[in-house]
Amino acid sequence: MTVPLPVLLLLTSLVPAAVTFFLPQEAHRLRNALSLGGALLKVALIVAMLFAVAGGASYEAGLTPAPGLMLLLRIDALALLFVSLSAILWLLTTIYAIAYFGTKPQLSRFFGFFSLCVAATTGIALSGSLFTFFIFFELLTLSTWPLVAHKQDAPSLAAGRRYLLYAMPCSAALLWAIVWLESATGPVIFAAPTDFGTLAPNAQRAIFALLIVGMGMKAAIVPLHGWLPAAMAAPAPVSALLHAVAVVKAGAFGVIRVVHDVFGMDRMSELGLGLPLAALASVTILWGSVRALGQREIKKRLAYSTVSQVSYIVLGISLIGPFAVIGGLAHLIHQGLMKITLFFCAGIYDERAGVKRIEGLDGLGPRMPWTSTCFSLGALGMIGLPPMAGFVSKIYLGLGGLQSGAPWVLAVLAASTLLNAAYFLPLLYRLWFREPAPEVQGDERAPALVAPTVVAALGALGVGALAAAPVSPLAWATLLAERAWLP
Amino acid sequence: MNALVVLLTLPLGGALAAVAFPAGVARGAALAAAAGTVAAALAVASEVAAGAPPRIALGGWPPPLGIALAADGLSAALLVTTAAVMAAVLLAARHTMAAGLAGPRIAFGFWPLALMLWAALNAVFVSRDLFNLYVGIELLSLAAVGLVAIGGKPEALAAAMRYMLFALAGSLLYLAGVALIYAAHGALDIDLLASRRPSGTDALALALMTAGLTAKTALFPFHVWLPPAHAGAPAPASAMLSALVPKASFVILLRLWTEALPDEASPAALTLIGALGVAAVVWGSLGALAQSRVKLIVAYSTVAQIGYLFAVFPLLPLAQAAWSGVIFLALSHALAKAAMFLAVGQWMAAAGGDRLEELRGLAQAMPMSAFAFALAAVTLAGLPPSGGFLGKYMVMTAAFTAGQWVWALPMALGGLLAAAYLYRPLAALFAREGASVAAPSRARQAVPLALAGGGIALGLASAEPLALLANGQPPIQAVVR
Amino acid sequence: MTLWVGPLLPLAALVWPLLIGAAAALPGVRDRAMRLLWLAPLPALWLALAGESAATLAPDLLLGVTLGLDPGRRLLLGMTAALWIVAGLAAQPMAERPRAAIFAGFWCLTLSGNLAVFLAQDVVTFYVAFAAVSLAAWFLVVHERTDAALAAGRVYIVVALAGEVCLLVGLLIGAHAAGATAIAEVRAALGTSPGGPLAVALLTIGFGIKAGLVPLHVWLPLAHPAAPVPASAVLSGAIVKAGLAGMLLFLPEGAAGPALIALGLAGAYGAALWALTQRNPKTVLAYSTVSQMGLILMLVGAGGAAREAAPYVALHHGLAKGALFLLVGAMLAAGSRRQRAACLALAAVAAASVAGAPLSGGALAKAAVKSELPAALAQALSLSSVTTTLALGWFLHRLARTGGAHRSALPLALPAVLTALAFAAPWALWQDWTGRAPVYALAPDALRAALWPVAAGGLGALILLRFPLPEKPPGDLLTLPLRWRRATPRWPELPARAIDAAKLAAALRNAVARGERALLRRQASAALLPLLALALFGLLAGRF
Repeated sequence: MTVPLPVLLLLTSLVPAAVTFFLPQEAHRLRNALSLGGALLKVALIVAMLFAVAGGASYEAGLTPAPGLMLLLRIDALALLFVSLSAILWLLTTIYAIAYFGTKPQLSRFFGFFSLCVAATTGIALSGSLFTFFIFFELLTLSTWPLVAHKQDAPSLAAGRRYLLYAMPCSAALLWAIVWLESATGPVIFAAPTDFGTLAPNAQRAIFALLIVGMGMKAAIVPLHGWLPAAMAAPAPVSALLHAVAVVKAGAFGVIRVVHDVFGMDRMSELGLGLPLAALASVTILWGSVRALGQREIKKRLAYSTVSQVSYIVLGISLIGPFAVIGGLAHLIHQGLMKITLFFCAGIYDERAGVKRIEGLDGLGPRMPWTSTCFSLGALGMIGLPPMAGFVSKIYLGLGGLQSGAPWVLAVLAASTLLNAAYFLPLLYRLWFREPAPEVQGDERAPALVAPTVVAALGALGVGALAAAPVSPLAWATLLAERAWLP
Repeated sequence: MNALVVLLTLPLGGALAAVAFPAGVARGAALAAAAGTVAAALAVASEVAAGAPPRIALGGWPPPLGIALAADGLSAALLVTTAAVMAAVLLAARHTMAAGLAGPRIAFGFWPLALMLWAALNAVFVSRDLFNLYVGIELLSLAAVGLVAIGGKPEALAAAMRYMLFALAGSLLYLAGVALIYAAHGALDIDLLASRRPSGTDALALALMTAGLTAKTALFPFHVWLPPAHAGAPAPASAMLSALVPKASFVILLRLWTEALPDEASPAALTLIGALGVAAVVWGSLGALAQSRVKLIVAYSTVAQIGYLFAVFPLLPLAQAAWSGVIFLALSHALAKAAMFLAVGQWMAAAGGDRLEELRGLAQAMPMSAFAFALAAVTLAGLPPSGGFLGKYMVMTAAFTAGQWVWALPMALGGLLAAAYLYRPLAALFAREGASVAAPSRARQAVPLALAGGGIALGLASAEPLALLANGQPPIQAVVR
Repeated sequence: MTLWVGPLLPLAALVWPLLIGAAAALPGVRDRAMRLLWLAPLPALWLALAGESAATLAPDLLLGVTLGLDPGRRLLLGMTAALWIVAGLAAQPMAERPRAAIFAGFWCLTLSGNLAVFLAQDVVTFYVAFAAVSLAAWFLVVHERTDAALAAGRVYIVVALAGEVCLLVGLLIGAHAAGATAIAEVRAALGTSPGGPLAVALLTIGFGIKAGLVPLHVWLPLAHPAAPVPASAVLSGAIVKAGLAGMLLFLPEGAAGPALIALGLAGAYGAALWALTQRNPKTVLAYSTVSQMGLILMLVGAGGAAREAAPYVALHHGLAKGALFLLVGAMLAAGSRRQRAACLALAAVAAASVAGAPLSGGALAKAAVKSELPAALAQALSLSSVTTTLALGWFLHRLARTGGAHRSALPLALPAVLTALAFAAPWALWQDWTGRAPVYALAPDALRAALWPVAAGGLGALILLRFPLPEKPPGDLLTLPLRWRRATPRWPELPARAIDAAKLAAALRNAVARGERALLRRQASAALLPLLALALFGLLAGRF
């Protein structure tokens, strides 16, 4: 029996998840081997598919349990963009997490849900229909909650509660929208244009709004972002996963699917949906940055930064123009690389130096040079300084804004750049220029923590500095945009 | 021998044996009867799936003279689910209902009552005759009341008393309706009634039967007997009471409104039933939110989940998907709710009570049953990929295709409320501090986990159940004005 | 992947400093990194002398890098490379000081950016280069980590980032208008497109910040003196020219002309006069830089041939100003009276050149542009020599009072080389740039025109020594009653927090209990049962 590729891709994390749940706590070696093996296998599969998909191939697997219900997995170029991000960053996060947790308790539960979470993300990436997307989207919600609440102390449980408090109503909205839409259009397949039939324009708008509410909660669009800063109570690998790979990205990816594949660019402009979404994204970009300024905890500051940065993706998508879409899609990868670097570093500061608040960063740079250099690179990238990845996104978003007749985007980008600088540069200043506090001891004798961090940072540097190379995320995003705009 | 007959006689025989023989033998006989019944249920289901639904006319007389027993997709699905739940319950009861643990009274009474309940359920699921159905639910009520009272505590007896009052009132109304039908048509067979010539008293008969059955199903506002009764019974009994018993009267209602007398249905009446269902969803959920004992939370959750089933009524004549959706809801509720009560039973045995604060941190000692509860919660909240989600999804789709999106609201809202009231026990279970308690073995914890997993599997592998249900699915009929 | 297309040298000129800078991070090289700095600009100097004109492409780098040269930028590139070599040599004594490797690394990054500004042929590369030179130079400013340096660094980074943002937006508008990223096309598009004026304004601000255009110059008199001497030299001599190069590249002919003329002249006079209130010789020099850049920006604003000649003027200023800053360092190191005297004498020569004394490079520079300017501006240019002389006279006075450190080796050779270049280079390039014979500059008229303002300024300086102006803090406009207020904003809590969950739960419990009791009371629900049957009957029978 041959297993179709999309299913195989899903199994690379589902199987480790299923097995890990039943492993005893002491089976460290087996558990690690399972997690790493799955991650490596997935990366290998993706690399194998990359060139075929670039050439226009796509892989499909599906079943229809009941008329009107279609479970469809499909690997197309957009899916591969997201799935390769999640696969590569998952590999890094797994290495990091294994080192981070060491022999702490409840690891089988953790790594089980960890793998499940990535399986859900893979499913989201590969979903070929809206219904399938929703299934995996909810699976993601459920598998993330135990990760957020993993520490089981009061702040973690509160964070978990808040996460569900936001997630449940928003997913109800999402379900509502999907049912409403599909009852009028039949199953919504991403690869095929949606026939809206007799649905009134205002109903279409309402459906769009509900879909955005559902996706936007995960993408932390203001005012649905409140759970994200609270979720920083989770362990560092979870934060990294949440902010860079899985949850937030899934939301952004959902927005991309809705705009790009469910409604389509023409309908978006016809219904006038782009501008409100772009405005919402802009508000989020600025609000996230402004709130980040006031945070004294490193992870909280990073969390608000995520709120802001993820909406770059949404902004790019909502502007409905080739350049903006390229910028948005590329930022999906770019933000992931940069933010995972930053969270890895925050985890190392916490773990190796006991530093959680920005005051503690004073003078850590020379003591933890690798970590701090990576942190600095990530932060500079977030500001959008060349040649880091964030810079490339910003250029394309700015050009896209102009191209789509929304020059005000430039003002948003400018303000966001300055705000980003305002909340990141003081951190770098503390790291490298302040005198260290005597009681803070820090070292980085943890190669398994530092190595993934360095790789992620180099990635964030590389995709920016070599953005024009034929295999960069930018090139991939350009390919996608070309397919969307050139017949 | 026909599997249908086995389904009715074997559990009854087992019940008799359990009464007649001494304790040790009784349990063995009961379990053997159970195994046989499970096999019979599977046999019936496979026959239905193969396209040859079994049907027998008792005594060789065809209706209206004789009484017909027949299985269609709906019966088969319910039979199998019931078999799964009963098997799990009895497996769990092997330990907890032993004389040493539960006392001689319970140990003696539980097995015959449980098997009698099973026989009654099977009878209701395969009967095609309204009076036969009456006999079935009377038997069911008797067994159920017995199970509530079995603990012998004063509260339990009071709850059983109240339950019996409601059950009797309901039976009377139902019987009155049956009498009216018989008087008008001289037949009680569902298939014959479907092709009857309408009579003036049909409306009254349907109203009486419906009112009676809603009381037995514990539809709001007739649910007041349910929480104390279900919470007061021993956990395996609660599992049966909550997961299966309401389904019997619900199935009769469903058959009445879609198979026997679909032409009588009027939109306003359906709306009234639907409205009561919505009220039940809201009230049951609020009730669950207000409780601080897990058993009561789970019992109120049943009130809310029953509300779902009725909230679908207005859609039944309008969209095909509503019918399969509501059955999916019923099936997954059965599996999930039984899993919950069995898990709660294990916790109560370990922690000595079911107050939320007593359960804090229990997940450490009993990860599997805690996980079972979590999975069941996923089903009840209607989250994918569970069967509960699929049912909800089908009903919502039906609501939208019928142009009646209002009836999708309780589905969406109810899911949120369920998530809210189930979050509290879950948060308590998964809290960090944990008393060290004597946990049951992994094998015993696996029982509720298997049931909860079944609720999820119902959604994952929905193709087969849906295909099974399609056998004998009543066609939708536009309401005659 | 294609690494590059076309001549390698331009790319090598940029990568080579980066490699040296990266090597500075290696443990083995770290201690010797300072000694390598002078090597970093060598390929660039070679490039400037060889004058490669073919374009180089590095298609995979960034968004596709294009490099090339034109005559004006070639001049600036050569000057920059030369100045950085000399400054790199001057930095060698810093090798023993702490954090030398960090300094060396960012020195090289800044250098690479500075060179790339002159080589970039596309918008993105230019922006990247500009950002590199702007932001990496921050590390040169704060290197000493004194309070003054850190404070200057703070102002520097805020202003520089604001400039970056203005540039980015301006460049994006330009690139969009042109539909291309080639700088020449962008400049053409900025002149015609509707978004052009906004972009020109933003670019003027962005470049003006770097070039010290009044009133955006406030960071300059703080930052340049705060840096170590070699860094001050490149900051004032070469890095400010990046702003100039940007204006020359991007501003369409005549765009922002009046503003540049007005602000340039205001800077030329105002900064020179404000310099007289300063005590630190490096600050005086920094104000002099603002003043000289004001003149050069005025040329840009005037347009035409004057604008074309701006690099020629900048060449001289860069070399001379570099020499002056190095001389401050030399003075700090000078031990004996004789050494101090030699230092002062050399400083006087360099200062005279900046002021435009006859036969100096400065005089040539002014002569080259004067005839291309309208009469009023030409007059203003001449008059500015008076204030320049005043300022530099004051500088010499302050320099003379700078204490020495009694070190044996006196690095006078390096400023001497720069001074000589400042004199010689304008002469050597005179004919190429003006198209006139060297005799023109030797004509008595020209000599007289150059002499009188310097003489007048010198006289004024002598008076000033008797009656010095009161001391004012550096940073002029910044010290106006503007106070940075640091406050962490407080945000209102979410309303969800305000609700008392316990109270809500209690209310819910009560409501449920009451409701259930009501349903049980007098068997209410038993009464409801017939009622339901009745209602259903009504609805069914009525076929509603």
